[in-house]
Amino acid sequence: MKFFHLVWKNVFRKKTRAFLTMGSIILVMVLIVVLVSLLDALAGEAAMGTLGASRIVVQHATGLSNFLPLAYRQKIEQIPAVLGVAPEIWFGGTYIDQRPEHFFGQLSTDPEIWPLINADVAIDPQQLRAWQSERDSFIAGQQLIDRYHWKLGERIHIQGSYILMDLDLVLRGVYKGRDESNIFFNTKYLENSWAGRSSQTGIFFLRVRTADDVPRVTEAINQMFENSDAPVKAMPEKEFNLQFLEMMGNVKLLVRSIAIVVLFTIVLIVANTMAMSARERVGEIAVIRALGFRSGQVLRLVLSEALVLSLLGGLAGVVVAFPFAAFLVEVMKRSPVAPFAYNFRVAPLTVLTAMAISVVIGTLSGFVPAIRSSRISIVNGLRQVV
Amino acid sequence: MAIPIRYNLRSLLVRKLSTGMTVLGVALVVTVFLLVMSLAEGVRKTFQTSVSPLNLLVMRVGAQSDVQSFVQNEQYQTIRTLPGISRDEQGQPLASPEIVALINIPRKDGKKTNVIVRGVETTAFKLRPAIPIVEGRMYRNGSNEVIVSRRTAKRFAQTAIGDTIRSGSQSWKVVGIFDAQGSPYDSEIWADLHDVQGQTRRNTGYSIVRVRVPDASARDRFIAAVKGNQQIKMDAKSEAQFYEEQMGTAKPIQFLAYFVGILMAIGASFGAMNTMYAQVSARIREIATLRALGFSRRSILFSFMLESFALGLLGGAVGAVLATLVVTFVLTAPTGTQNFNTFAEILFNFRISAGLIFSGMIFSMAIGLFGGFFPAARAARLKIINALREV
Repeated sequence: MKFFHLVWKNVFRKKTRAFLTMGSIILVMVLIVVLVSLLDALAGEAAMGTLGASRIVVQHATGLSNFLPLAYRQKIEQIPAVLGVAPEIWFGGTYIDQRPEHFFGQLSTDPEIWPLINADVAIDPQQLRAWQSERDSFIAGQQLIDRYHWKLGERIHIQGSYILMDLDLVLRGVYKGRDESNIFFNTKYLENSWAGRSSQTGIFFLRVRTADDVPRVTEAINQMFENSDAPVKAMPEKEFNLQFLEMMGNVKLLVRSIAIVVLFTIVLIVANTMAMSARERVGEIAVIRALGFRSGQVLRLVLSEALVLSLLGGLAGVVVAFPFAAFLVEVMKRSPVAPFAYNFRVAPLTVLTAMAISVVIGTLSGFVPAIRSSRISIVNGLRQVV
Repeated sequence: MAIPIRYNLRSLLVRKLSTGMTVLGVALVVTVFLLVMSLAEGVRKTFQTSVSPLNLLVMRVGAQSDVQSFVQNEQYQTIRTLPGISRDEQGQPLASPEIVALINIPRKDGKKTNVIVRGVETTAFKLRPAIPIVEGRMYRNGSNEVIVSRRTAKRFAQTAIGDTIRSGSQSWKVVGIFDAQGSPYDSEIWADLHDVQGQTRRNTGYSIVRVRVPDASARDRFIAAVKGNQQIKMDAKSEAQFYEEQMGTAKPIQFLAYFVGILMAIGASFGAMNTMYAQVSARIREIATLRALGFSRRSILFSFMLESFALGLLGGAVGAVLATLVVTFVLTAPTGTQNFNTFAEILFNFRISAGLIFSGMIFSMAIGLFGGFFPAARAARLKIINALREV
């Protein structure tokens, strides 16, 4: 620690070089923070809310594209520890036009039971009552409202593509908290206008008393309909969300491989810089060795230089990552990748990971130059000075 | 007068380590960009393979894919009578009713995803380029047998010959493997139309009707006839247009490639800048000598820019070779991603094209030029007197 001042001075001896190196570390930090947060968003981490652990989703065993009899609801409600069951249908229509930038979740539900199941979501009680009392009304997540500037009382038109009917809905409420990328409307709206499917639903969303009840209840539901015409698959909400990420293919592997190559590249770049500055100071190192510094001390000096540089870069990178991510999300919401933008959030753990990575970068890139510097023989080094 | 290029090349050679590391840095950036883009390229290629402009798809109005579409039997009968359709040897219209169902089955890594089961009649094979069975045999009608595409068999568990694919109440026996030559059908499982209707309990209809037309004028006539028929309320489009609309599948991958590529390219150009700055300060005497010999500031600027450009170009070339090697020898297994229009997985292979390599080279040249500009400007601005004093 005694030599911190020396290390600090050495880091900034060549300002351009220090800032350029930090610049590339900052870029990598931003990249990593954004990539990890994108993976989180895809995995539905942010969409889980605080009650995610005590929610269960029931879908058709063959897959989401198959419908379930609505009559299952009463049977599931009989199972002990089940607090409430809401049917949900993924409407999958198009708003404004068919371009993917206007893609968001349109879900039908039972407005009476919805607030119980989604108790970790904030909604004004008056708005909730208005939504419950009007069959052709809907509520929307705050982020969607921000994106489309909808006002309470505004009417929107959604053209059906998956389900053959159009929606004409009026906005009655805004919800905040988790997964603000959806709109919810009354299932009865579909029942009345969509002949033939009134006795069916896409999935059931249910809440059980505590997280401990989840395994028992999912088991009970799976067994209950095992030999029926429409066997079901009940699973915790987390697993339900994860299956969308799994359907995306090897995204996780892809992002991880990218991150590893990116890290390797940055270590290379920083190591090159460190090596350059160490090479330029051979004479100087010989002088301080002659003054009585041990080779271990020289090693620590050069290594700490790399560490200080990368930590500073890491810190700045994390700070820059926040406004950059916010900007990126805004851009994404107006692009074909809009569906991935809504649940984007930088978690504290991601920030910690990034900082840890910057330490790794510093250590790896400073290692070789530090060892080389510590091995400089005093005589040969001094010869370069004169 | 210009400074000979050999001066720069030899300067690069003298400091092997620093040159090598900078080149490798640029190369890795280009490699990552190319590899991710080769995914998007693979998707594009798949959607463009065995697509015929003379094949038309009749779907429900508003449906974004065959998975979302539904055609009633009566509608199908009407569609067969519309003008413009080619006829086979027996004089029957070349119209293929097809039903697609999604089943959720595990991949070899244990994760589950949706796969399309397509139920077809024999006409379906007449509307497509040859789809040879490469292993096993064709399915028999009415026996719940299926043939599985080669890519699907490679990627999914329990899809080898003799296996039974189970999903919910559905159960299919695999009897053959077919090779759809890299087309979108290479992500599918095929079976007899009536078997699929039976197992999905959708006996009253199909998903789409695919028809063949003899030429462009017949195509326009047929599309107009479908759209004009108020009784069936259907939409018709060419296969080419249909798959063009599915191209959005590649958008998230492209976004990722450009996002990572651009950020890393800036990072790499900072690295190159560092290298070039170090070069300029190490070669101050040389620069001053060159200036004293009569080379102009502009020649110095140009010379250093050229050196940095060469660094970038070298990196780009190494990156392109690396990416091509990786795609050719390592990433040979089919990979897949979700097609958001069908909710099923579309399988494809990584693919490098000349256009991609070109864009990778552009990337690397930009890194070199940007990284070299400021150091070169500093070199050009040096005052001869001050610089010579350093000697």
